[in-house]
Amino acid sequence: MAESEEEVDVLVQRVVKDITNAFKRNPNIDEIGLIPCPEARYNRSPIVLVENKLGVESWCVKFLLPYVHNKLLLYRQRKQWLDREVLVDITCTLLLLNPDFTTAWNVRKELLQCGVLNPEKDLYLGKLALTKYPKSPETWIHRRWVLQMLQKECSPAGSGQKEQQGQVEPQGEAERSWHTERLQRVLQEEMRVCADAAGRYPSNYNAWSHRIWVLQHMAKGNLKILHDELSSTRLWVSMHVSDHSGFHYRQFLLKSLLGELGQSWERLQSGALNLSPLPLADALQVHRSNGDGTAGAADDHASAVPQLFHEEMELCTDLIESYPGHETLWCHRRHVFYLWHHWRKNSQGTGPQSPVLTHTAALLSEASDPHNEGRSSQAMDVDCVPDSSKHGGYTQNTKRLKRGPVPPCPGLPSEHLFVSRILSSCRSPEQGRFANAYRKWLDSVIGQ
Amino acid sequence: MGGNRRTRRKPTQTQGKHANSTQKGPWSSDSATLDSYKSDKYKFSIKAFSVLTSLSHLTCCVVCCQCLDASRPWLCYWILHSLELLEEAVPAAVVSDVCQFLARCQSPTGGFAGGPGQHAHLAPTYAAVNALCILGTEEAYNVINREKLLDFLYSVKQPDGSFVMHVGGEVDVRSAYCAASVASLTNIITPTLFEGTHNWILSCQNWEGGLGGMPGLEAHGGYTFCGTAALVILGKEHMLDLKALLRWVTSRQMRFEGGFQGRCNKLVDGCYSFWQAGLLPLLHRALFKDGDVTLSLSSWMFEQQALQEYILLCCQNPAGGLLDKPGKSRDFYHTCYCLSGLSVAQHFGNQDLHHELVLGKEENRLAPTHPVYNICPEKVAQAIQHFHQLPIPAQKGATACAEDQS
Repeated sequence: MAESEEEVDVLVQRVVKDITNAFKRNPNIDEIGLIPCPEARYNRSPIVLVENKLGVESWCVKFLLPYVHNKLLLYRQRKQWLDREVLVDITCTLLLLNPDFTTAWNVRKELLQCGVLNPEKDLYLGKLALTKYPKSPETWIHRRWVLQMLQKECSPAGSGQKEQQGQVEPQGEAERSWHTERLQRVLQEEMRVCADAAGRYPSNYNAWSHRIWVLQHMAKGNLKILHDELSSTRLWVSMHVSDHSGFHYRQFLLKSLLGELGQSWERLQSGALNLSPLPLADALQVHRSNGDGTAGAADDHASAVPQLFHEEMELCTDLIESYPGHETLWCHRRHVFYLWHHWRKNSQGTGPQSPVLTHTAALLSEASDPHNEGRSSQAMDVDCVPDSSKHGGYTQNTKRLKRGPVPPCPGLPSEHLFVSRILSSCRSPEQGRFANAYRKWLDSVIGQ
Repeated sequence: MGGNRRTRRKPTQTQGKHANSTQKGPWSSDSATLDSYKSDKYKFSIKAFSVLTSLSHLTCCVVCCQCLDASRPWLCYWILHSLELLEEAVPAAVVSDVCQFLARCQSPTGGFAGGPGQHAHLAPTYAAVNALCILGTEEAYNVINREKLLDFLYSVKQPDGSFVMHVGGEVDVRSAYCAASVASLTNIITPTLFEGTHNWILSCQNWEGGLGGMPGLEAHGGYTFCGTAALVILGKEHMLDLKALLRWVTSRQMRFEGGFQGRCNKLVDGCYSFWQAGLLPLLHRALFKDGDVTLSLSSWMFEQQALQEYILLCCQNPAGGLLDKPGKSRDFYHTCYCLSGLSVAQHFGNQDLHHELVLGKEENRLAPTHPVYNICPEKVAQAIQHFHQLPIPAQKGATACAEDQS
């Protein structure tokens, strides 16, 4: 057992080296953990690597942590110089043991800024730290700093700088697309990291907030991603029916989609917008990149919204019926209905002004007609309500913008019917209470 | 741990256990297990907080664990506020020691840091100023360098009205509250300091009625309190959708436990006794100012009794101190906020109109707390009176300092 200062020194250096070597040996490490092990047994390293899991035996932490912590602080106070490689290894060790240690993240920021550290490597360290500490606020905060840095690097201005340094125009083009691809990969990885962290801790506010931030900052106006995220989280929320944060994320996606679709639609309608306008060409381009390829963007936009709401309400209905007594589901229903209700009210305010919008206007008047619900069954399009939604949508098939007949639109009467149905058949007292509260809410907030 | 509490004031009109409350919340129907407690008086008593331990923590500013190394002014505030709620005096020598320690936490460029030698940060700044106002001596007030504090606030102010928590740091709604709190107490509010801030805070209110950490995020108890209290300080609370907020926060009281949760479908936690329940006094006052005549003149719009029972029965450590929920360990943060919530639940109104509901023995009565600053109202008044005799410091530019990050 190490006791003297020298022995501790030797031990710690060996451990730090073992951790570094573990990463070199296996670049696919995907999880870290602490192995409860109060005493050192045999004369072997406390670093254990099994398949893709990296473990640290707990006995060494009390030596390791204060030592590397102190070393870093001495460096920070400029009392002891450490070269870059050592800094990378030391901060890595520290943050795997305690990712809320801001100073260590800040050292890594400096290393990133001078190019010693690669951003993807740093994000990878954060990802590992989150497998053990899925909420760690400092890890998420640092991540956003790295992502912002990456964005700047990959922006046209960033690559423009490099062009000034002597690169030729044609290479600029290739570089631009490389940057775009890089950002895309990073973005997809962020979604995965968030989903993973969300699964490791219920209602993980920090993970879901980060996910929202990434979309707000790295996917502005990107309809495709918003749709993809709706698809990919559908299954997740169906398996976490009390996770309010997960459902709130879907509410954010819906609202963003509304915003984006609404903007392009309003743009088509009239010239004036009080929102920051998405230029028409861009709106259509973004829309086309969704892969639909059909003409009549306005029609697609118009029918997309009721479709979205219909699907979300169906999902909500299915989950409420399958899992009685979960407040989150009822809360989600309120939000979706609230959004829908207000979108309808706002859309009705703006009358049709072009032939393209007649269909839309008809759509809206149908939607607001309380007796509309049965009409869609006469639809020419037999599969206007996809099978998967009948089965609760447990597949991850993307429902793209569809042209075609109007799906049944939620309205106050249909919601009241829903509540009555639940109340008449439910046996859970909580479910009954939530249903009654929902009814009261419909009357006092929506019905006004 | 025997309490040394003397009855310092004549008995107030406490209503005893299970008062004839006209509140018919869901709680009153779950009376099966409660009946057995009615006869056990002692179970409702607040065990004496381990005064000596807390004082020693205060003087040495012992760091409990590494993660609190950047929170030492917080420890001072949590402990001092707990002691003032329990009406325990702090010895003069300790008062002076704490002042000197906090002075060492003050940054040369303004604001307070988590510890000596660290960078200034809005959270420990809030805690330090509150702690100094609780101490309330001339020495305490003089610790604060008001000119530099104003510089610091400008250095973290953002063009959109929000504040970052520290130079180069992140934005969230807590920062607005910390800034508004310290600026209003120390009288350093200039015409431009909070330009745009109220609009930014308002954009954090979402459809649920609560406020998120930033615009677009999920409503959350802690952030909701910070945003609302900041708006109250700025005089703009009426711009919130008060009814939606009221609906949201009242739904956060747990019908079985009696305590509050931080968000929909989450577990109860003792600290939300303040962050959530503490919203009701703010809302009550705001709605009253709006002209609502249906408001109660004797109780807040939450089940006060139930909250007191949760805190007294479930949140106490037998060795002193309070906690999140049974099974969790005690800490000074939970001690501070459980006691604060208990105080809110015991006291309705203000000096002019005051109605008490103290569950259990008279000994359980805590001092009232100010619903905006969460220090005792007399300390707020005293501090404001002191600092308003001083002129507002000259306004420097609103540019961010390029502070050395290392």
